Amino acid sequence: MNSTQDLADDDRRVGRFVLAITILIVLAAPVMASTAPDFALRSVAGANYRLSEHRGEVVALIFWASWCGDCRRELERFERLRATYAPAGLVVLSVSLDEEPAHAATIAAAAGIDYPVLLDAGKKVSRVYEADRLPLILLIDRNGVIRARYDALDESEEHGLLVRLRDLIDE
Amino acid sequence: MRAWIKATAVPAIMLLALATSRAEEQTEPPAPERSALDAEVQGLRREVVDLNRDLFMLEEDLLFPASTQIAVFVSMDVGTFFDLDSVQIRIDGKEVSNYLYTAREREALLRGGVQRIWLGNMKAGEHELVAFFTGQGTHERDYKRGATLAIEKGVGARYVELRISDRVRKLQPEFVVRVWE
Repeated sequence: MNSTQDLADDDRRVGRFVLAITILIVLAAPVMASTAPDFALRSVAGANYRLSEHRGEVVALIFWASWCGDCRRELERFERLRATYAPAGLVVLSVSLDEEPAHAATIAAAAGIDYPVLLDAGKKVSRVYEADRLPLILLIDRNGVIRARYDALDESEEHGLLVRLRDLIDE
Repeated sequence: MRAWIKATAVPAIMLLALATSRAEEQTEPPAPERSALDAEVQGLRREVVDLNRDLFMLEEDLLFPASTQIAVFVSMDVGTFFDLDSVQIRIDGKEVSNYLYTAREREALLRGGVQRIWLGNMKAGEHELVAFFTGQGTHERDYKRGATLAIEKGVGARYVELRISDRVRKLQPEFVVRVWE
């Protein structure tokens, strides 16, 4: 009698385990799918940067180009945000799609930005991130997961971005 | 498919282990029972780590069987005369790897780290491996050097080392490509 009950208990336990695994796989799949693809790019200043080296920090990744009208405003906005939130763990990386590094350097200098300007002249990285509209802004959490995606921001979106950014920093 | 299984199965099991520990925390059993449960959870966590390692080894065995496997490693000794920027590897004229080094990675190599830069498959027979090293030499001058190695691939796995060292007498870097026997 006891052994029959034990077997039934075992069956129930196995059933629960399989169900839990199935649910967790379904829940985990979209999270894993949005992990920011790693890349290494050379910056205008000459140093190389790898995205995965910033795990543990909140990363704002901005794709832009010198010929994009709205991009400069976003570059300046993120310089202000960097100045405020860098001590709390915000890292800003910008990826320029310009084929001429000098064009990217000129705009970056004019915008007064103090964060790295990475060069993706071959468009390899921007293609992976599907940056078909510029600017493209991505917020990546401390675990390397893309948590928000924005185009050029208007006033209401800026407030949303700030709230999102603070939440990510606080996590 | 393989990446998806790995990407979902491992975190799923880890989450399950965590959920189990949380669930056990909530019911708050008596102290001796709790320590037994803690030990069980610890055991489960260890099993997850072991399972992850086994999955990784299985993946490598399946994708890169020993009969065709070739691995290329990069090491650096001293590095006074060369500041490494990138390494490009070509096998039989085809580019298989182009790796950019960050300051942190250079530092790790200088501290004695050995990096596996590429793992792939190669048919038995003769092959040519060419490695291009780009960086800055002395006086911050751009420096690019190539090194070639003829590889006779037999039945077993082959391990190739790209070694950057200093040739003190000539005040120049030295690039050595060799097969580990």
